[in-house]
Amino acid sequence: MKLLEYKAHEVFHEFEVPSINGFTVSSVEELESDTREIEYPVVIKAQVQTGNRGKAGGIQFAQNKAELIQKGGEILSMTIKGLEVNRIFITEKVDISKEMYLSFTMDRKTKLGVMIFSPEGGVDINEIAEKNPDKVAKVILPPGDEIEDFILQYVIDRTGLDPQYAEEFKSICRHLYRMYVQYDCLLAEINPLVVTKAGHLKALDGKVDIDDNSLYRHSSIEAFRDEITENQLVLAARKFDFLYIPIKDTGNIGVISNGSGMIMSSIDLISKRGMEVTCALDLGGGATADRIKEALKIVASNPLVDTIFINIFGGITRCDEIANGVAQSIEHIDANRLVIRLEGTNKEQGLQIIRDIGGNIELVDGLYAGVDALAEGMKV
Amino acid sequence: MSFFVDENTRLIVQGITGREGTFHTQQMQEYGTQVVAGVTPGKGGTEVLGVPVYNTVREAMERHQANASVLFVPPKFLYGAAYEAIVSGVPLVMTIAEGTPVHDMLKLHHLAKEKGVRLIGPNSFGVISPGKAKAGFMAHRIFSEGRVGVMSRSATNCYETVFLLKNAGIGQSTVVGVGGDMIPGSTFVDILPFYEEDPDTDVVIMIGEIGGSEEELAAEYIKANVSKPVIALIAGKNAPKDTSMGHAGAIVSPDGEGSAESKEEKLRAAGVHIAESTEDILRIVKTLV
Repeated sequence: MKLLEYKAHEVFHEFEVPSINGFTVSSVEELESDTREIEYPVVIKAQVQTGNRGKAGGIQFAQNKAELIQKGGEILSMTIKGLEVNRIFITEKVDISKEMYLSFTMDRKTKLGVMIFSPEGGVDINEIAEKNPDKVAKVILPPGDEIEDFILQYVIDRTGLDPQYAEEFKSICRHLYRMYVQYDCLLAEINPLVVTKAGHLKALDGKVDIDDNSLYRHSSIEAFRDEITENQLVLAARKFDFLYIPIKDTGNIGVISNGSGMIMSSIDLISKRGMEVTCALDLGGGATADRIKEALKIVASNPLVDTIFINIFGGITRCDEIANGVAQSIEHIDANRLVIRLEGTNKEQGLQIIRDIGGNIELVDGLYAGVDALAEGMKV
Repeated sequence: MSFFVDENTRLIVQGITGREGTFHTQQMQEYGTQVVAGVTPGKGGTEVLGVPVYNTVREAMERHQANASVLFVPPKFLYGAAYEAIVSGVPLVMTIAEGTPVHDMLKLHHLAKEKGVRLIGPNSFGVISPGKAKAGFMAHRIFSEGRVGVMSRSATNCYETVFLLKNAGIGQSTVVGVGGDMIPGSTFVDILPFYEEDPDTDVVIMIGEIGGSEEELAAEYIKANVSKPVIALIAGKNAPKDTSMGHAGAIVSPDGEGSAESKEEKLRAAGVHIAESTEDILRIVKTLV
């Protein structure tokens, strides 16, 4: 899960990575009643999961309390790239003389960590790498919980970092790498890593992406996840251990299936025929009738969905459970069309249950037949 | 011949006393797999389905000369259980659970390489050599004995494929669940040499998906080293970027790395037959066998 900026700074502080100080509020009232001593000017930053906040007006400066309240209120009422701003981060304004880039991430090819550094930062690292490859050092790291000094020295020499910052830089790298390992990060990025006018290095903005599968050992982060999940259907699905995947802002088909691969295959074939899947829900293995009922309700409650395609190849998942789930929820579903493909464990029992429901449920034999039926109904 | 698991496999089940472990031990026994020992810390001295249970893999190895282990343990305990198996001299370790932390897998991947242990999974259905033995939870009824090799990142797409193959009278030699996680113990490249050398495999089906670079690396390997025909399916062509599609590994990064187009292009250039769908795999297999 990707942390919001203020949370990223929290973990930077926790790992002694020098980082900006600030606080967050989620309403103007909170700002008005705030009594802490603030040193102006300050920066007000919208806390949303998207880049280019600045361009959208989501980053502003305030010289005094009145301005802070006015501009803070403005930002709190914004929607940036479809995301409501529910929280603002108010930070010290840092006078900077230079912007750099630093990150630790994972290289899937070598299955090792990788360090990326550039003394030119502030913009997208891919842009820097394209324009000025000599200014970017990318080093694959040997396995280990600490980063070796020789690697850091190589990076400094290779990119021509001013030696006066070498010691502070190395220290930041060691701490950030520890954070990357101990917080199970997929990405620990500081961009920009700035040199202040006073000549010190500081993390001005950061991106931290923590492996969802590791959240059981980072309970403070796990609690934070639901707080920042914007999509209510994702949250609703999570409660039942389902994965709801928003695919597009257009389209009219919702796909329910019992596995990631099958979902992708369904979407591929449907898209190839010129139709659009707007969302998908992965049941995982072994879903029971009462949970399937909930899955159907969740997908049907997406206002764009008027057609639901249930595609099941049951191993651990039983077709009769799926069918019973459909039977229990059919009255609550106002989708126009329900196309169902059942294969695998207890297929015949499942088919019989669906036939007994009657109505206009379309039963199909095979994934292709399902896609054909969808296409026929939509005349594409 | 087949490889990884067969009639000579002497299997340890780690987590044998759990609900899934016991259920699938029975399934594996019924299929003909020799399950020689179980391991659950704290349950040593007991027995499950006639299989003796030990506290440690080391003791199970000493007493039963096992040559493989399958792990029915939850993701939280996967690192510890796999680590124990790898350092206790089990040559083949198959991990099933979905949801193992990536940093755990990074460590296990390299540890297994260093110790010369074949690590399969996680987030995998296991390995089956139809008609001989299986280690894992796959629905074995839909598999059949034959000469087509299948390796897959996805369980459901693999099931769909072998089901279609079976209905068309085409069986499989060995089917390997590579798994859907970001860091698999073994990748397509690691498994391809076994298919190439297996005298009972004529054709190889590789079921990949978006995310990572394993298919691109496989393309390079195939071009230089594989003489047998390879058919590939890449699922997730229409998945949105920067969104995990359920499998932790099935994610195209914002800059486009891991896209289906890149994989198909490299594979095609390596002479691999690209299938549009599972039914298309069947169509191509029929032209090759």
